[in-house]
Amino acid sequence: MSAMPTTFFGWVYFLLQEYGTVLFKGALVTLLLAIVGTFIGCIIGLIVGIIETIPEDKNSSALAKFVLKSEKRLLDAYVEIFRGTPMIVQAMVVFYGAMSLFSIDMSPLFAGFFVVSINTGAYMAESMRGGIDSVDAGQKEAAIAIGMDHFQAMRCVILPQAVRNILPQIGNNLIINIKDTSVLNVISVTELYFASKSAAGVYYKYFEIFFITCIIYFVMTFTASRLIRWWEGKLDGPHDYKLVHDPLADPTGLLPVAPTPTKKGR
Amino acid sequence: MTFEENTKPVLSLQDLHKSFGERAILKGIDLDIYKGDVVCIIGPSGSGKSTLIRCVNFLEDPTSGIIAYHGTDVKKAFKKLPLYRAKVGMVFQQFNLFNNMTVLENCMVGQIKVLKLDAKTAKETALQYLKHVGMADYINAKPQQLSGGQKQRVAIARALALKPEVLLLDEPTSALDPEMVGEVLKVMKALADEGLTMVVVTHEMAFAKDVASKVIFIDQGVIAEAGKPEDIFVHPKKKRTQDFLSRFNVFSQAKM
Repeated sequence: MSAMPTTFFGWVYFLLQEYGTVLFKGALVTLLLAIVGTFIGCIIGLIVGIIETIPEDKNSSALAKFVLKSEKRLLDAYVEIFRGTPMIVQAMVVFYGAMSLFSIDMSPLFAGFFVVSINTGAYMAESMRGGIDSVDAGQKEAAIAIGMDHFQAMRCVILPQAVRNILPQIGNNLIINIKDTSVLNVISVTELYFASKSAAGVYYKYFEIFFITCIIYFVMTFTASRLIRWWEGKLDGPHDYKLVHDPLADPTGLLPVAPTPTKKGR
Repeated sequence: MTFEENTKPVLSLQDLHKSFGERAILKGIDLDIYKGDVVCIIGPSGSGKSTLIRCVNFLEDPTSGIIAYHGTDVKKAFKKLPLYRAKVGMVFQQFNLFNNMTVLENCMVGQIKVLKLDAKTAKETALQYLKHVGMADYINAKPQQLSGGQKQRVAIARALALKPEVLLLDEPTSALDPEMVGEVLKVMKALADEGLTMVVVTHEMAFAKDVASKVIFIDQGVIAEAGKPEDIFVHPKKKRTQDFLSRFNVFSQAKM
């Protein structure tokens, strides 16, 4: 074996060579957990947000009212519980609880996906509700006035605007998840932090390893943040528009009211 | 058209009441709207004009009273209101164009989702009405890229694209810059001339005087006076109507 490195950067280079693959794999697991967790969390949040904002219909039956009301209370409880406890504790409770209560031996990775998803879902539910509330009431009224029902109005008018409004929140959650999946090391998910800790233990080079880890985390979060920005811009569409001089729109009526002939075949 | 059909009101409001909690806003409104009528509702702020027009398509649920559409009680006949609402178009003071859609999509979405028309037909109808209000060049614009007057004209086209029998307009020019009021009133006048049945809540007295077939003066939740425009504007009978109109007259005389 060649001589051990003596400088800080020498060690960094050496450890990268030794454990680069391990750290890279850890980073991949982290990314996967964060992206899948955020995605499923958003879907949970969307569903909860939609149910929470269903207006009470005075004409519906007592049973329907009761069902809707208890659903809302149940979802409230879900949001409060998972927002109100640390994810690190949730990971322990879910992973070990599933084993001792239901004898379900889930893999740490599966437990990880589960915990991140429902945790994000609880946060996103509140964001979604805020996003829906933030859309001007006139939008809903106009949709109702042209004859849409509540769900059509939601799908065609309210939700597209609400989701656009909470996109920065989704970005926030993705970034938080990239970092906070590190707590899943307590149930031995081999994500980036777990991999780093293991690698650091071999040569007792904690600073050097975590310096690398730090950079990897930052690159991941920075990329995520820029991608979300880009997506926001894309959703906003172009800032200008082209005037269209459609034959149908010709105010003089001189042009024939017919589809414009295409160049092809003429 | 037979005489019979012509004398039956399209919409008939009977003893309409609306309260918000303890506060009574409408205290018994009776109003018949016939085909081709242009009913202008005038009155001071807070008198219940907007609440009345919003009750007509059930954006506000009336506390009591009947709204009859061609003689049938809407509440009973239409279990679900959407189809009735498509028959009764609504134009808002704040335009309320769908911000996530282009001008064209705004005018198509109702036809596709509510009337279940195919996209091609919907597009043709949308273009036809956008042309009518002079906005067909702007089909690709988003609402936030338009001026107030343009938005309101698109909103009118959106309502017309559903081919409503009655068009309700809730202070359509009140949120507009003075310069843009004219372009919207011109569109409304053209529609009235074509025989479209309209109910307009408005502060534009000149418009009411010229275009209305019937003027309703509402004060404190009741119809204080109703009649032909010349009756209301030239020979108002009630003291309250005279007071209300005198303010406008002073203003318009001062302008001249």
